[in-house]
Amino acid sequence: MTQPKPKTQKLNHEEAMLVIRAITLDDIDPLIEMAHQVGSGMTTLKPDRAMLGERVNIAVASFAQTIPPEERDYMFVMEDTAGGRLAGVCAIKAAVGLTEPFYNYRIGTLVHHSRELDVFTRMDTLYLSNDLTGATELCSLFLMPEYRTGANGKWLSKSRFLFIAQFPHLFTEKIIAEMRGYQAEDGTSPFYEGLGRHFFKMDFNHVDGLTAIGKKSFIAELMPRQPLYVAYLPDDAQQVIGQVHRSTLPARKLLEQEGMHYEGYVDIFDAGPVLQGRVAELRAVRDSVLTVADEGQPEGECDITLVSNTKLEDFRMVLTQACAGGTRVPLSVRELQLLHCQAGDPVRTLSLNVRKNTHV
Amino acid sequence: MYVVRPVEPADVGALETLLAASTPGVHTLPRTREKIAALVERSCASFAAHVDIPSEETYLFVLEQIGEAGRAGTLAGTAAIHASAGSNGTYFAFRNDVIQQVSRDLNISHSVHALTLCSELTAYSQLSGFTLRQRDGAGLEAALLSRARLLYAVLAPHRFGDRFFVPLAGVTDDAGQSPFWDALGRKFFKMDFLDAERVIGGARNRTLIVELMPHYPVYVPLLPGPAQAAMGQIHPDGELSFELLTEEGFEADEYIDIFDGGPILQAHKHALRSFSGAMVRRVATQEQPAASLDAMVSYAVASSERNFRAIVLPCAPAESGEVLCLPTWAQQALRVAPGENVTCVRI
Repeated sequence: MTQPKPKTQKLNHEEAMLVIRAITLDDIDPLIEMAHQVGSGMTTLKPDRAMLGERVNIAVASFAQTIPPEERDYMFVMEDTAGGRLAGVCAIKAAVGLTEPFYNYRIGTLVHHSRELDVFTRMDTLYLSNDLTGATELCSLFLMPEYRTGANGKWLSKSRFLFIAQFPHLFTEKIIAEMRGYQAEDGTSPFYEGLGRHFFKMDFNHVDGLTAIGKKSFIAELMPRQPLYVAYLPDDAQQVIGQVHRSTLPARKLLEQEGMHYEGYVDIFDAGPVLQGRVAELRAVRDSVLTVADEGQPEGECDITLVSNTKLEDFRMVLTQACAGGTRVPLSVRELQLLHCQAGDPVRTLSLNVRKNTHV
Repeated sequence: MYVVRPVEPADVGALETLLAASTPGVHTLPRTREKIAALVERSCASFAAHVDIPSEETYLFVLEQIGEAGRAGTLAGTAAIHASAGSNGTYFAFRNDVIQQVSRDLNISHSVHALTLCSELTAYSQLSGFTLRQRDGAGLEAALLSRARLLYAVLAPHRFGDRFFVPLAGVTDDAGQSPFWDALGRKFFKMDFLDAERVIGGARNRTLIVELMPHYPVYVPLLPGPAQAAMGQIHPDGELSFELLTEEGFEADEYIDIFDGGPILQAHKHALRSFSGAMVRRVATQEQPAASLDAMVSYAVASSERNFRAIVLPCAPAESGEVLCLPTWAQQALRVAPGENVTCVRI
């Protein structure tokens, strides 16, 4: 079942059994099980019952709208309804940096100029900033290895944009995503070795661990407060600023297709880029369509399409074949069940892939 | 034997020869005849000036051989003192700072060494231009030359600030490259160390420094090893000066040069032995060696502000008496007569 499949426009049977939905309290145990498989790469998904349990509680309260919008943390799971197990998880944190400081380096420019000597020097600088405080963050994306086939990864990541498109009023204007920074073959971060190590005097993994248990801001407080000239750093550290980990390249490209881009903010430890976007400029917000569900088979030229219901508390989404331009979206009985919808209910659709020449 | 005296217009030729032989980058005196003449003229004007507030004056002293036939009149060294380092600008230096990084929550506390561009030395008086024809095997005359300018400051305190500093040349390799410059200044100036020193004329008080040099602290751990190692290190030619000045009471460690990272020694005048140990004594003629040589101590003796001359010689201890017994040659060298006052300090 994990055989690689050729890339076709056809959906296979397994994908048709998958649904992405708002997390529930029943998901805590399978979620912890999944977190055991995540490894050290992701700091927000550690197999800690207290931490994850608390997070799921917040997520459930978020969908139920019983906590203020800025405290919300919308978590979604991808469920394999055929196997009755979780295939993946992803989340949208409504606002970062409101309970503890959110730090980044901003790449700035300082020009040193002497008319007398005719010397003009343009210097990149790193400013420790809290500029992204209050932004909405896309985070905690993880897909179980055996489900990394077909369009699953893409769908899981993009599902969040469709949610935002359906409920834009719940989010601040700015969306961000922190990308994992470049690492050398041996797992070390050239940026950390060139900068952070001098100030923390501990290994990157240790720092990463502290970050995971919510102590990132404490560590940031050990960073130099004054701007740094990038030119002081060793060459290999300079070169990786704003560069993602090799395995994160596809994820970066994906987010960039959705309207997010690097604007010069990087992680203070590994210099991984922060991608930013404005809600109003996201492809999902511009191109998704609010339409009506129907029961039936698609006809004509179709695209792989994300289809979600419009219910916040019981948000659900499937991936299906749908045709552009129709006034209704024909869905199978099974798909309607997965969406907790009936024919005639409103649904929101977004093509999985960027359509070429959509704005000719 | 030697005497230190203010430079005179007639010294220009001899100065040109003396300065041509010194190492590039190590002192800040000019090398061309035209510029040397201008400096001498400025010094003469400074000595003659009536000063209320120390400003643009530069006092240049020369070490002249006396006594021995044939070598008498030869210039053996120079030393200078600027009344106010930043008289026509701001004098820039790097201050050694320690930044404490503390996180109570993580139970971490450590200090980070940083260099901050600062202008505190602007109002200080600056010693500079210390050159000796023969550094190797230099004797008491080196101490005399270095100290004589401070004795002048003791005699004429209104001409100088309350604090003094001395920048000493930092380390460079055989090709004149400075590891400290390569890690820092070069990134901003985009030129070689010696080229930069040439275009700036060795000055540290030019506006272009603040235009080009870093505005924010330089975190030392980020500098390459050779640059860190060069911080506060002196050029081998500066070791003699360093010894003399630290004996005098100057302290290193607080400031370094913004270009080559060489140490900048500084002190309040009360911490300097020339100030704290200076004694005014009446001149008496020493008839014959009064005591055995063992009982003699070396004194640097200076005449007066108006006719400044200084020598070094062994004398009978003068701490408890009112007179200083000087042989006739010394009285002649200082151009003083018995009964007149001199200022002396033990070397």
